[in-house]
Amino acid sequence: MNVLVWLAAILLILMLLIGGKKGARSFISLFLNFGVLLLTVLFMTDPNANPIILTLIACAVISCINLFYINEVNSKTITAFISTIITIGILLFFINIVAKNALIQGFGEEEVEELGVFSLYIGVDFAKIGASMIIMGTIGAITDVAISITSPMREIFNHNPLISRKDLFTSGLSIGKDILGTTTNTLFFAFCGGYLALLIWFKDLSYSVGEIVNSKLFSAEMISILYAGIGVALVIPIASWINAYFLVKTREKNKISNN
Amino acid sequence: MNILITKFKELSYKQMVLFTLIAVCFVASVIFVHHNYSFYELPIAKVIKTNLEDTTEMIDMHNNKDHLFTQQITAEIKNGENKGKILHLTNQYSSSGAYDQEYRVGNELFVSIDTNSKENTELTGSIKDVKRDKFVLYIAWVFIFILLIVGKKQGLFSIISLAVNAVLLSYALDIYLHDPETSLLLICSISVILFTVISLLLVNGFNDKTYAAIIATLLGTFVSLFIAYLVMWVTSGKGLRYEEMQYLTRPYRTVFMAGVFIGSLGAVMDIAITMSSSIFGLYEKNHNISVKALKTSGIDIGKDIMGPMTNILFFAYISGSIPMLILYLKNASPLGFTLSMNLSLELARALAGGIGIVLTIPIGLYTSIYFVNRKRARS
Repeated sequence: MNVLVWLAAILLILMLLIGGKKGARSFISLFLNFGVLLLTVLFMTDPNANPIILTLIACAVISCINLFYINEVNSKTITAFISTIITIGILLFFINIVAKNALIQGFGEEEVEELGVFSLYIGVDFAKIGASMIIMGTIGAITDVAISITSPMREIFNHNPLISRKDLFTSGLSIGKDILGTTTNTLFFAFCGGYLALLIWFKDLSYSVGEIVNSKLFSAEMISILYAGIGVALVIPIASWINAYFLVKTREKNKISNN
Repeated sequence: MNILITKFKELSYKQMVLFTLIAVCFVASVIFVHHNYSFYELPIAKVIKTNLEDTTEMIDMHNNKDHLFTQQITAEIKNGENKGKILHLTNQYSSSGAYDQEYRVGNELFVSIDTNSKENTELTGSIKDVKRDKFVLYIAWVFIFILLIVGKKQGLFSIISLAVNAVLLSYALDIYLHDPETSLLLICSISVILFTVISLLLVNGFNDKTYAAIIATLLGTFVSLFIAYLVMWVTSGKGLRYEEMQYLTRPYRTVFMAGVFIGSLGAVMDIAITMSSSIFGLYEKNHNISVKALKTSGIDIGKDIMGPMTNILFFAYISGSIPMLILYLKNASPLGFTLSMNLSLELARALAGGIGIVLTIPIGLYTSIYFVNRKRARS
């Protein structure tokens, strides 16, 4: 039996045991997300398609799966969805500039030696693909933070229905502060675990600090980690503000209709 | 403006010192990366003029259309004995840019200068790599500022804990490389303990909540590592394609396991601290809450977080393979082969991390309940 099948089976059993129905949905969402990612990659192989737009669409579909499928469609998940899309839009805009100037697209010299059999002139735009790679790495974290802010904010609103928009916004920010540290930590370790082989390789060949910092692979990796952190931090005020805005707006609307 | 001034007056002495310190670091580091040419041994040249010479259309053996360009670059040497002289370079790049790129005015390049050029003639050379340190630094500062603005004090603590962890990881790898006799997994286990204790203490302070989270994290990571090991042993690693770990000079299986270990740690920590804070929060609100009630709410919270957390790991791991997947597919590799070559390790990592996440939910729940009961007995 295959390692992957075993691990997936163990994960499924654990999720079912602990999470029941919701666990099953969490497991299925992983597969759906994998499918979306794969489809996006297949679309990206078409040289006429714009990878940035494909990424935006893929992120929208993925956040639909993460928010609406695992949870359900309600005001909390809808505001979380809107905040995710806005954050991703801002991130995509800036990453395009960064990726263009830092020249981190494509493959590093460490990888290219092994790619001799492949034709590298394949007509797709690797600068844009690099940008979308960095964004896709953060989408899971961004939806997670968005929903972790909007759902407790809703609770606060229900407990104090007269709370002002500004107070609601501040309470959203303070919830966000607590999540910020642990989520950046999660991303940091995930990326470090993924790139452990690369780090060992750099150290083994005794690259100097200057060589490491300037190498394409390392700087691309650093930019990915830092950019993911930026995305996570950015979604906090965005989600808090949007949620505060909508909650107070619906309250005012109800007030008018009640009168 | 008035608000700014009053805000400024409200700042304590400590905060003022901190802000000045950060500002000084920022300015100093920016000035440094713009003038650090002399610290590099390789000659660095800054592009001052580019000229597109030639464009050819090409079609490769898989019918992929691409354009090849040749550009003449005039650059000024920034360091070494030829400092200030003008250098002529030729660069060939494609519109896809998988391993090449168009250079624009202002780009700084590491170059090698041809020695055979005679006196009085203009220098020529070839391009080695791009100087990217500026961009890494800029992004790092944007990261630091955004974390500080949004997270304030907590943001500062998370930056400190990230920096400490990065140094620790680098130090641990140094130990491993200098003394390959010691097992990488042992080194990783020790570092994992240190990572956990440092990060959780820094973020949450010294209290029972943190201790419960530390114990839960360690139990969770070690149990999930054990499960991953067991699976690899039972299946003798079938289905994992290590070819992907191209750049490796070490036993790849151990390195892979160490990566799984460290990679899932952050997520497991996140789950452990979420579980312990919510259990302790429930206890603080109502000191007489029954263990059964704690268990049901704990499991409810766990159900809510396991989906998003596994997805975080999934995307963090898989997204890095996107360029390689595209390269394989455009070179007419069959889909199944492409996926198994490029994703088997990433998927295994994500699944093993997911197992760690889900397992930590009950582990975190029970350790927190144990600590709550202890606290109850004491009071």
